[in-house]
Amino acid sequence: MDMLEIKNLHVSVDGKEILKGIDLDIRAGEVHAIMGPNGSGKSTLSYVLSGREGYEVTEGSIRFRGRDLAELNVDERAAAGIFLAFQYPIEIPGVTTMTFLKTALNAQRKARGEAELDAVRFLKLVREKAKPLNVPDEMLKRALNVGFSGGEKKRAEILQMALLEPALAVLDETDSGLDIDALKTVAAGVNALRNPERAMLVITHYQRLLDYIVPDAVHVLSGGRIVKTGGKELAHELEKTGYAAYDADAA
Amino acid sequence: MAAVRETVKTVGEVEKYKYGFTTDIESDKAPLGLTEETVRFISAKKSEPGWLLEWRLAAFRRWLTMEEPKWAKVSYPPIDFQDAYYYAAPKQSVKLNSLDEVDPKLLETYKKLGIPLTEQKMLAGVAVDAVFDSVSVVTTFKEKLREVGVIFCPMSEAVRDHPELVQKYLGSVVPTSDNFYATLNSAVFSEGSFVYIPEGVRCPMELSTYFRINEKQTGQFERTLIIAEKGSYVSYLEGCTAPQRDENQLHAAVVELVTLDDAEIKYSTVQNWYPGDEDGKGGIYNFVTKRGDCRGANSKISWTQVETGSAITWKYPSCILRGDNSRGEFYSIAISNGRQQVDSGTKMIHLGRNTSSRIVSKGISAGRSSNTYRGLVSVHRKAENVRNFTQCDSLLIGDRCSAHTVPYIETKNPSAVLEHEATTSKISDDQMFYCRQRGIGEEEAVALIVNGFCRDVLQQLPMEFAVEAQKLVGISLEGSVG
Amino acid sequence: MNDKAVQIFAETYDRERAVLPGADGWLARRRDAALKSFVEAGLPHRRLEEWKYTDLKQALEKAAFVPAPAHEGAVVLPDMAAASAFAAIDRHVVVFVNGRHRSDLSKAVRLPKGVELHSLTDVLHEQWVKELVERRFDDARQSENVVDLNTALMRDGAALRIRKGVCLDKPLHLLFLAADGGASHTRNLILLEEGAEATIFESHIGVATTFADIVTDIALGDEARLSHVKLQHEGAGAVHLATLRARLAAKSRLSSFALTLGCGVSRTQNFILFAGEGAEAHVNGAYALKAEQHADQFCVIDHAVPGCTSHSLFKGVLDGASVGVFQGKVIVRPHAQKTDGRQMTHALLLSRDAAMNAKPELEIYADDVQCAHGSTIGELSRDAIFFLRSRGIPEVEARQLLVSAFLDEALDLVPHETACEALRLLVAGWFADGEGRA
Repeated sequence: MDMLEIKNLHVSVDGKEILKGIDLDIRAGEVHAIMGPNGSGKSTLSYVLSGREGYEVTEGSIRFRGRDLAELNVDERAAAGIFLAFQYPIEIPGVTTMTFLKTALNAQRKARGEAELDAVRFLKLVREKAKPLNVPDEMLKRALNVGFSGGEKKRAEILQMALLEPALAVLDETDSGLDIDALKTVAAGVNALRNPERAMLVITHYQRLLDYIVPDAVHVLSGGRIVKTGGKELAHELEKTGYAAYDADAA
Repeated sequence: MAAVRETVKTVGEVEKYKYGFTTDIESDKAPLGLTEETVRFISAKKSEPGWLLEWRLAAFRRWLTMEEPKWAKVSYPPIDFQDAYYYAAPKQSVKLNSLDEVDPKLLETYKKLGIPLTEQKMLAGVAVDAVFDSVSVVTTFKEKLREVGVIFCPMSEAVRDHPELVQKYLGSVVPTSDNFYATLNSAVFSEGSFVYIPEGVRCPMELSTYFRINEKQTGQFERTLIIAEKGSYVSYLEGCTAPQRDENQLHAAVVELVTLDDAEIKYSTVQNWYPGDEDGKGGIYNFVTKRGDCRGANSKISWTQVETGSAITWKYPSCILRGDNSRGEFYSIAISNGRQQVDSGTKMIHLGRNTSSRIVSKGISAGRSSNTYRGLVSVHRKAENVRNFTQCDSLLIGDRCSAHTVPYIETKNPSAVLEHEATTSKISDDQMFYCRQRGIGEEEAVALIVNGFCRDVLQQLPMEFAVEAQKLVGISLEGSVG
Repeated sequence: MNDKAVQIFAETYDRERAVLPGADGWLARRRDAALKSFVEAGLPHRRLEEWKYTDLKQALEKAAFVPAPAHEGAVVLPDMAAASAFAAIDRHVVVFVNGRHRSDLSKAVRLPKGVELHSLTDVLHEQWVKELVERRFDDARQSENVVDLNTALMRDGAALRIRKGVCLDKPLHLLFLAADGGASHTRNLILLEEGAEATIFESHIGVATTFADIVTDIALGDEARLSHVKLQHEGAGAVHLATLRARLAAKSRLSSFALTLGCGVSRTQNFILFAGEGAEAHVNGAYALKAEQHADQFCVIDHAVPGCTSHSLFKGVLDGASVGVFQGKVIVRPHAQKTDGRQMTHALLLSRDAAMNAKPELEIYADDVQCAHGSTIGELSRDAIFFLRSRGIPEVEARQLLVSAFLDEALDLVPHETACEALRLLVAGWFADGEGRA
């Protein structure tokens, strides 16, 4: 069974149709990339998967591990194993990164009927996950994302992903705003999380990220539809030709 | 008016209840209304010395000439002060026999606060051994305190055992003529705490009124007096974490703090009186006068408050910075939900040289509540090199509540540096979505974000209080979203 | 009715009622009612919350102002830089002497089509004038009540109406000269219809002991734009009471700046009401005071509708035994979401005897808003003075440099480039004229 099954998905925002019939299946262990020009609906797809309010499914369905996602609200989807790495991570003043991580992890554990982690075990776990991502203790003590550099924000996102161990990770433009070194660190963090149990959906405008996170499949999203699907070589092709050819279809 | 009716009814029930057990209730209850006779009755009941009776009477006569303050941004039906009882002996309060008789909502709150069962019983006013346990705990403390010379006792005991101290300091910070409610308190105050820290003593433990709560039913007019002698230090906790039962009553307390040279008092409050129901029925009218006098050089008074309860809060813990180099601090979290009305803040009166003050106020309004910060920073002509920093932040949850900031900043000395900042914001949809995408439920996300917003103040609380306060923040805001 | 000053105003009204403009129409009744309300309320004093720091009653009773006489013939401009501050700017000029329009001294010719500029007395029959005069905001009644005095006794003023889409070709300068002592009551009315644009300078100049009571009523239509620069430099014994009320329709923009240099006691009131979405108000000011001067800046901004922006910055320096006051309030009404309201006030105390009072208020009834206010009061940084001196700059100059830098942040907001420079020069002159010697 596929982990994620999207069938004929139509999504509207403020009454305007953004996604116009998406079909997409992802199996556990696979990494799929969604590429497309600005305004093609990439971020909409990530939001509708995570259940953000204001994104209305007008037709079609999303099934995740056999469940209809329409039944689940945002935090329930998170507890069920969907993780969104934000393009622009949100600042939460006064809430330390450590507190946030603990609150999130224990909320998910509780929702899944697992015991909450005590302070000692939690701390050990966080340090273990933080180390390879170059996230020092000092950063964990700062308010989440407040005053973080672009690279720090993205590393914090991947740290959350490593800690929460989702079944499906959606990475929305994770490469934006990163220099090459930061990109490598983040990509290494993501690759370390690739395993046969986990699926990933990598949303990006540029092929660059896909040099480091090599996908199993690439889909081109344009005008709210998947207009082409191919292997990792499709990304390189796009790099040369650009999206112009697909824009015409969208019009 | 409803509030007083409710009080009258309660007192009536007390009477009824007691009727079967004792015959001399009449003498344990002051007559209805407030007259000189009431004041004399209270004073006589407490076997007070003549000077205190005169002091009360002077306050009472003054009170008759005063008008209720109208400037606060709160509204409530007029209070008929003659339609209330001003004294009922505490021992006659209704005692419940088991937890089963306690409002389940209340128990739910205790549970969330993580208060142990015995304490829950104690807080709920259930007559169980726990109460006596607690009394013995107090006694143990008293022994330990006596060793270092700290006096910590009920006000009536202090009047009896330490009249010279009481007479010297009572009303020296909040004079009997201060304001309508403080004057009323001076006339009829029933109980309260008295603390005296001798010269050079660092009080070996945090003092707390936490365990006094069982007696609270008559504590509508408490009077607290804390004196810190030269070079001494005390941290005092006022824990009103026990919501009272659904009584609707006036609570007009007065707290006076005095620090002499190099002394420091840290006064923390967690106030969670019954706020009334969703429609604004019932709840406490909390009209409190708290003031500290940094009388000595290099002394310091720090107020920290977490205000989540009460139907109406009217409260301005203040510092008179008289001694040179003295310092005043005010850290406040005021949360209003439902139909609560809060008008709270502080006054920093800079009289001495090199005095400094810091104000951090975090107001959170939800539901249909109104939340006002009102503060004064005043610099006297002779107060050189004064420093003040004020930060007032308001957070609004929902579009039917309101938040107001009314600061007064006055200086007559050019060497003062006074800075005031205020912001108003909401919990953004982005923040909520982000938290929830990480699996945090809606109410927990609100509590998390609000706790982050309040962090600067929560950090000022003693550790064990801080944890409780954090939970309280979450509980107070339940039902504010969705 | 016991107040002496109130009595003088009431007697003046009785005496002049028949000859004040508009005595034959709607205004006569309006004046009667206004005088009655004024007499009932009396002059504001410090027991009123909104007048906590300024005692207008005391100021007016001390001087016992009688009406300023009509002034015929030539007027000698006082020897002060402020008198000719805008002289270098190509502009229309309308001159008022002792509160009376003097067409012989004015120069406002070849106005673009659609620009109607009159003396108040000539347009009293017009409906828009009636609407503006009768309008009340009621956001700060204790402050707005003094407008009643003006309504009862207003004698003259400028009435400017600009038709839809028309742009006033050059700034209009309303120059109010106080040639003789006494009270004058001036009403300016400004209506900018949809998309109209104008820049107005308003200066109040004099050395006499006067009471200038000015109300400026403004209505901006959709997308209209008004820049307003006010300069006040009146005599040391003068009392100045200026009230500006502006109603802003959708996407309109008001930029106002007031520089206060003169007067014994001045109170400058701004009432801004947002009536249409997407409008902007920039209400800024600066003041430099010395000796016994007292200046009160009062500013209420009412976000009655969503999506409007208001930014205010008031900066002042206080020398001698002067007293500065700032009282501001930003109101965000229920449902006025997406409001952006900012209010800042900063004061520098230059002398031992100066005093400053600030009360910046926020009153917020909507949640999706960005509102902030800030206030600082302090003295010149001793470290900065030391640093400048260590670089060879004498103390007086060092202080002047720092004061100028302090006020520049506000002066930068003067909504007209040349006027901005003119006001900078005035402020520099103010400093050279006194502070350095203090």
